[in-house]
Amino acid sequence: MDNLIITNLSKTYNNGVKALQNVSLQIPKGMFGLLGPNGAGKSTLMRIIATLQEADAGVIQLGNINVREHHHELRKVLGYLPQQFGVYPKLSPEMLLDHLAVLKGIIHRAERKELVQALLHKVNLFEVRKQKLGGFSGGMKQRFGIAQALLNNPKLLIVDEPTAGLDPVERNRFYNLLSEVSEQTIVILSTHIVDDVKELCTSMAIINQGNVIVQGHPLQIMENLNGRVYEKTIQKNELGQYKKEYQVISDRLYLGKQIIHVISYTHPGANFKPIEASLEDVYMSQITHA
Amino acid sequence: MWYEFFTFEIKYRLKRPETYVFFLFLFLFSVVGVEFVFQGIELGLVGKNSPLVIAKTMGAITGLSMIIASMIMGVPILRDFQYGIASLIYVNPVSKSSYLMGRFLGSFVVLLIIFSGVLWGMILGEFMPWADRSEYLPFQFVNYLQPFLWVAFPLLFFGASVFFVTGALSKKLMVVYTQGLIIFVLFMLTKGITNETLQALLDPFSLTTLSKVSKEWSVNDRNTLLIPVSGIMLLNKLFWVGLGLAVLAIGYFRFQLVVLIEKSSNKKQKLKSAAHSGQNQKSLPVIIPVYHWKAQFVQLFLNAWFHCQSILKLTSFWAIIVCCFVIILVNSLSLGTSYGVDSYPTTYLIIEELQEMSLYFFMIILAFYSGEIMWKEKDVNLDLIHYSSPLSSFVNVSSRFLALLLIYAIVMVSLIVGGILFQTLHGYYQYELDVYFFGFFLEIFPFLALYTMAALFFQALTGNKFIGILATIAFAAINVAIGIFGLEHVMINFGGQSLARYSDMNGYGHFLTGYLWVKAYWVLFGTMVLILTSILMVRGKETKLKKRFTRGLAQMGKPLITFSLVCVGLFLVAGGYIFYNTNVLNEFWTDQQKNSFRFEYEQTLKQFEYTPQPKIVDVNLIIDLFPSERAYEIAGTYVVTNSSPTPIGEIHIQKLIESKVRLTDVVFDRVVTPNTRFEKYDYTIYKLGQALAPGDSMKMNFRQTFRPDGFESNDSGTDVVYNGTFFDNAVLPAFGYQRKIELQDAADREGFGLAPRLYKASRDDQEELHNARTGSDSDGITLDLLISTETPQTALTSGDLIGQWTENNRSYYHYKTDQRIINFYPFVSANYEVLRDSCMPSGNSQQDYVDLEIYYQEGHEYNLSRMMESMKHSLDYYSTNFSPYQYRQLRIVEFPRYRSFAQSLPSIIPFSEATGFVMDIDDHKGVDMVYYITAHEVAHQWWGLQLEAANVQGQHMILETLAQYAAMMVFKEKYPDEKVQQFLQLQLDDYREARLKSSKEEVPLALVENESHLYYNKGAISMYELQERIGEDHVNLALQHFLEDWRSFNNPQKPKRYSTTMDLIQYFREVAPDSVQYVITDLFEEVNSLE
Repeated sequence: MDNLIITNLSKTYNNGVKALQNVSLQIPKGMFGLLGPNGAGKSTLMRIIATLQEADAGVIQLGNINVREHHHELRKVLGYLPQQFGVYPKLSPEMLLDHLAVLKGIIHRAERKELVQALLHKVNLFEVRKQKLGGFSGGMKQRFGIAQALLNNPKLLIVDEPTAGLDPVERNRFYNLLSEVSEQTIVILSTHIVDDVKELCTSMAIINQGNVIVQGHPLQIMENLNGRVYEKTIQKNELGQYKKEYQVISDRLYLGKQIIHVISYTHPGANFKPIEASLEDVYMSQITHA
Repeated sequence: MWYEFFTFEIKYRLKRPETYVFFLFLFLFSVVGVEFVFQGIELGLVGKNSPLVIAKTMGAITGLSMIIASMIMGVPILRDFQYGIASLIYVNPVSKSSYLMGRFLGSFVVLLIIFSGVLWGMILGEFMPWADRSEYLPFQFVNYLQPFLWVAFPLLFFGASVFFVTGALSKKLMVVYTQGLIIFVLFMLTKGITNETLQALLDPFSLTTLSKVSKEWSVNDRNTLLIPVSGIMLLNKLFWVGLGLAVLAIGYFRFQLVVLIEKSSNKKQKLKSAAHSGQNQKSLPVIIPVYHWKAQFVQLFLNAWFHCQSILKLTSFWAIIVCCFVIILVNSLSLGTSYGVDSYPTTYLIIEELQEMSLYFFMIILAFYSGEIMWKEKDVNLDLIHYSSPLSSFVNVSSRFLALLLIYAIVMVSLIVGGILFQTLHGYYQYELDVYFFGFFLEIFPFLALYTMAALFFQALTGNKFIGILATIAFAAINVAIGIFGLEHVMINFGGQSLARYSDMNGYGHFLTGYLWVKAYWVLFGTMVLILTSILMVRGKETKLKKRFTRGLAQMGKPLITFSLVCVGLFLVAGGYIFYNTNVLNEFWTDQQKNSFRFEYEQTLKQFEYTPQPKIVDVNLIIDLFPSERAYEIAGTYVVTNSSPTPIGEIHIQKLIESKVRLTDVVFDRVVTPNTRFEKYDYTIYKLGQALAPGDSMKMNFRQTFRPDGFESNDSGTDVVYNGTFFDNAVLPAFGYQRKIELQDAADREGFGLAPRLYKASRDDQEELHNARTGSDSDGITLDLLISTETPQTALTSGDLIGQWTENNRSYYHYKTDQRIINFYPFVSANYEVLRDSCMPSGNSQQDYVDLEIYYQEGHEYNLSRMMESMKHSLDYYSTNFSPYQYRQLRIVEFPRYRSFAQSLPSIIPFSEATGFVMDIDDHKGVDMVYYITAHEVAHQWWGLQLEAANVQGQHMILETLAQYAAMMVFKEKYPDEKVQQFLQLQLDDYREARLKSSKEEVPLALVENESHLYYNKGAISMYELQERIGEDHVNLALQHFLEDWRSFNNPQKPKRYSTTMDLIQYFREVAPDSVQYVITDLFEEVNSLE
């Protein structure tokens, strides 16, 4: 299967915000996690890949498709689930899927019907296929979203923060579905939730303020930080002091106490406990550095 | 607290571009507001800036623009929900009253600011360079301000209240869009109320109210009085403002400061909980999507159907349709045509009613749903998913276009079903489905399709639903305006011409070819616009026009490029073919060019106006009609006599000015030298080798052919048509200067620095006293006419039919007069049915039968017996009371409804299909106008054909008023007095209405020029009055004497000149006792306004 290769992609908005700066990525088949804080440029990047927005410079190549020049060719093999989307509230999922299938070039009625039924089964909406979309819960709507993205058997599937607002059960089911799909397909999953990437992705990139900070296999990335992360439980009012003295990458509360993680080449001593580097540590170290 | 909401609302609105767009729209529209609202209505002496005219204009513009009010007033509450901010506001300790009041007042102030554009725009309109000062009164600000405050303001308040409350309670954007329309529908409904007072009270725009208030106003009142704040006007305003307040109160009590209003639970669908377990492991079927052109076609149609269905499911759509049908039901209950008489619900009348009434609704559907359909994905936030699909942009746009067409088609079919039901309910069963079909799908459908293409384009261009809708409406308005301003060519005027009226006799006739070509041309243009639309269509996040364009252009696929090029190619071919037809095969003249030509004609040739010319005394014509080619060939011989006291050395021949008419072989019985100096005007001067001495005669031969080629830009030729040819001898070569070619319109003349034209010369004009018609070439002729046409058509003219045969599939008719007739005879040919009868007019001295014939279109049998009866009664009455009937036959012949009049020529009366043949006379309620009109035309066989009047002021009193009198007397014999009174009331109403619109001071009847409301309507009333006062017998006696002394033929005593009203009135005076002489003065010699 062909890789998605992004080279030196840049995009500056009219208001001067540099959404993407010389972004280069290599994305193979499987699940690719795109991690970054809110406003990092993830959605812009995904929309540009999905041909819904123009970049200022750079090249995107999927196999032999030059994406920026041949939108139409890419759309033929694209599945896209935007961060936010709506539906016609008065239509049933069956009808809307059928309509979208037509748009995607599935024009034989019987084939379309078979496909829509199968997809509805797959995303567990078959039972409610005749009900109105307007009454769907967030999770059901999201499952409908993935169903429509799979209609054309895509080579490239882009899902933008798909689990926001889903309860844990829905989230799990959603990821199972994605990982199943990723056996055949390039799946780009953008998220700001580190655990999502850790659980699912075979490769990943961290993006912040329009720059790719790091990319690779999650394990390798974590490997780089191994042996340098330490943890300590401190008093809340000491946090400022520690932040001055150490390179604090994260602070969080645990049972009312403040726990901090710091990075150090040497043991920082005094009740600091060395810990295994997690992906979250990597993420936090990268984005706080910047 | 309310003040905070109030200022917020104003600040918010001032930042929004719509506010300025709306203002500008109203402002610019109002600059030409008076011209728009009063289009085609004569204001006469009433100033364009009189308070009444301003008030009506403001009422109409405000009413038409209620949709803008809806867009401003409907959203302030709704917006909080749309943007999900309601919960943030409602949790605060705000009171309902301050929230609602602040929002309402803030929006209302903004609304007033926007609608003040009407005020400023109209004021500016008065000072535009094209405004003709003579049509205006001196500027007075209060004339604008008072109507704005008293007519527009209360209307805005009512609208604002209703829109605000429905928007707040329904929280649906679509409701906001449609309610502006609903008020308009309300207005239309009030038009159906027959009680005038009730109608005036209930008219939301106060237009009928204003009409009622000012009904009794004189011209001076109209120019000076402000709009009264009393009476029905006050009641009307109180009613609507009160209703507005009531709605506000209801809104206040019903509105709740909560974000979600619980609906009754049974309405909510119960979702089956989706099973949590058991991920379905079945793998998906592998289906390969296809993108070839066949697939694109399938996509096109499936999508079109999808979009169409989604519109059909909208409540708003059904609201519009229901309104449309209600209005049609209310309005078409009266299929009024002329003279307050209904017609039979023939299919073409029904279809014209339906077309007229539904067009507005089609335009609404077009403007709004083109906006809806283009942004439907964006409106529900499905756009990113939609845009990322591999659907071709052109297929996408086209499918939306097709969906709208499908909607129109569905509405049209239901209108047709409605029309058929209406006919059935009226006991009329001759449904002509083809006429229905073509009426909608040939006449209206292409027009809608083209405007839909434009509407979609504006949506894509502006990238905004509201602005797109406004741009569409503005575009339509501009197009109407452009038509008036002289971009007349069908290739420039968007959409081309409309199709000529359908006629039962001639169908669409020859107009169809040109129409179809022009429509094809514009549809190709529209397709290119559609392609451009697909390029410009927002796809994804890019909204900047330039970026969309470059991006769209770059993404055009090869097939689409090929298709575009093919379209451009076909467009050029169609355009070229049309241009070849309109401008190469035919000549295209703009109105400006035509006017210049007329001006130059007058400048150059006026010198010859009274150059003595011989008079025609005998006409011999062989005319071959070719209706299927719309052609004719004429070989003619005139015998002309010099009736002037001086020898005539030059013959001036004016050929008919029409490019396809050729005049050849003009040969005289003596040597002539043609002078072609005025060839440009088709005016040739033949210098006679030997002058024509006074009293001498000579012969002139000529050939004239007419053979049209291709089609013209705005073809209005209805003389020779496939079925229903009717024209008269005015097409034949004429002698000398033709005043009818001069520029007529006073404003046009002024533009060329010409003085206004006199409609009639004064009663002592020595030249015109010797003319019975403008530029008359004759004082009576004998006619020998051999006319042939294509079998099975019948050809007719004046005179006795002395021979008839068929040869080579052509029918020949030989007509000859047995006496002198005036130089006025028709050429008629159509496929006729004939009703024959005969009678012996009771006053004729010879015991000869007169043949009575009615030539009519099959299916138009309704009123034949009324016509026949009227002919008999008329011949009896006139021959007894005036003089014997002079001919041996009287024929009525039907001609197509392109023109709607009846006309009397020697022994033949061409009668329009539209006048009388399909009138549905209800003898209880209505007046038998068929009987009356027939009697009027038969009377012209005396007044006009036996006796001619001099071509001076008062001429029409002799010709038309006497015909009215005669017809009334015949009518009176058959119908009871109440019918006569009903008829007189109709005349009075028409007269009063026309008098208000007349731009001329009224003159006495005896000096009437071209004011038809005087010589027809007032004339009828005056003559009726006269015979009441001095007795019918006395009037008849006077007329009998008048006719005897002044008849044109067989009258050696007749003075050399023709008669005038001075003569006629003298005859009246002779039979009237002294005590009523003043009545004659009052009725005819003074202006008596019949109050």
